[in-house]
Amino acid sequence: MPVALKFLAAGRVSPFGGRRWPEPFGDAPGHWVRPAGGEVYACRVIDLPWWLEAELWEVELEDPVATLECQLLAPAGRLMRRIQAWDEAAVLEYGAACALRARDFAVNVLREEGRTTEAETLAEPGELDGVARLARSLGADAVRRRGANLAAYVAESAARAAQGAGAAAANIAANAAVVARRHPAAFGVEREWQARWIARRTGLAQN
Amino acid sequence: MSAARPEDIACREVVELLTDFLEGALDRKTRTRVEQHLVLCPGCTEYLRQFRLTIATTRRLAKTDLPDRVKEDLLDAFRHWRQGA
Repeated sequence: MPVALKFLAAGRVSPFGGRRWPEPFGDAPGHWVRPAGGEVYACRVIDLPWWLEAELWEVELEDPVATLECQLLAPAGRLMRRIQAWDEAAVLEYGAACALRARDFAVNVLREEGRTTEAETLAEPGELDGVARLARSLGADAVRRRGANLAAYVAESAARAAQGAGAAAANIAANAAVVARRHPAAFGVEREWQARWIARRTGLAQN
Repeated sequence: MSAARPEDIACREVVELLTDFLEGALDRKTRTRVEQHLVLCPGCTEYLRQFRLTIATTRRLAKTDLPDRVKEDLLDAFRHWRQGA
């Protein structure tokens, strides 16, 4: 049976349905979860940035498994083991990594626009609060310039990352990529980068 | 900021869809969009939590839990609300 990944809220709770998933016992998997509607959702690595939650689990799915746009669908599933490396610290690091990627986009565009002083200033801070503060001041004329518009994204992404809202920080960074590269496909490319980051951080195979 | 993906939905839409979401009446695509919004939005997630709590609480109520006086007041309020709508 196929093994996939599943994000759950703290305590093995489905974030939308509110169901508490049965816990694995030692090496034995948890009991099967077979919802009345026959729909259990799970992820491939590439899907993870869409569904970020507090706990990441390896889940065994019952066939047939359908691949949807950004998730897997199966009639039943059961928890195999928790990915322990995905914890509160990982969420914070992930949000910060995404926000700093957005900062890099903004710095590059500011340089392209000839605003090198602002670019170098924004490139300096290593901590999120500093990035957010500087980006906020640069983003004040967001309506007129692309670099400043991107700085507004950076400010928001860094602020959310500092609050531990990794999913929101990452989503804003992916939207920033669209502005930076002037192409809607950049959103998906950034999501792929984010998925690879999660896989690296948690030791998952990247496929 | 304005460059959200075109398929993203706003909080107001999510609020409008929440009853159908809880009843499982949304098509899969719309439900996925609502869920993706909930992952990102603590405000809507809290709204959903309160909605669920309200449903669970009212399910526990029996008719006798409501004094006649309160019942009359409520009916009166609803009548006036409908007239004002």
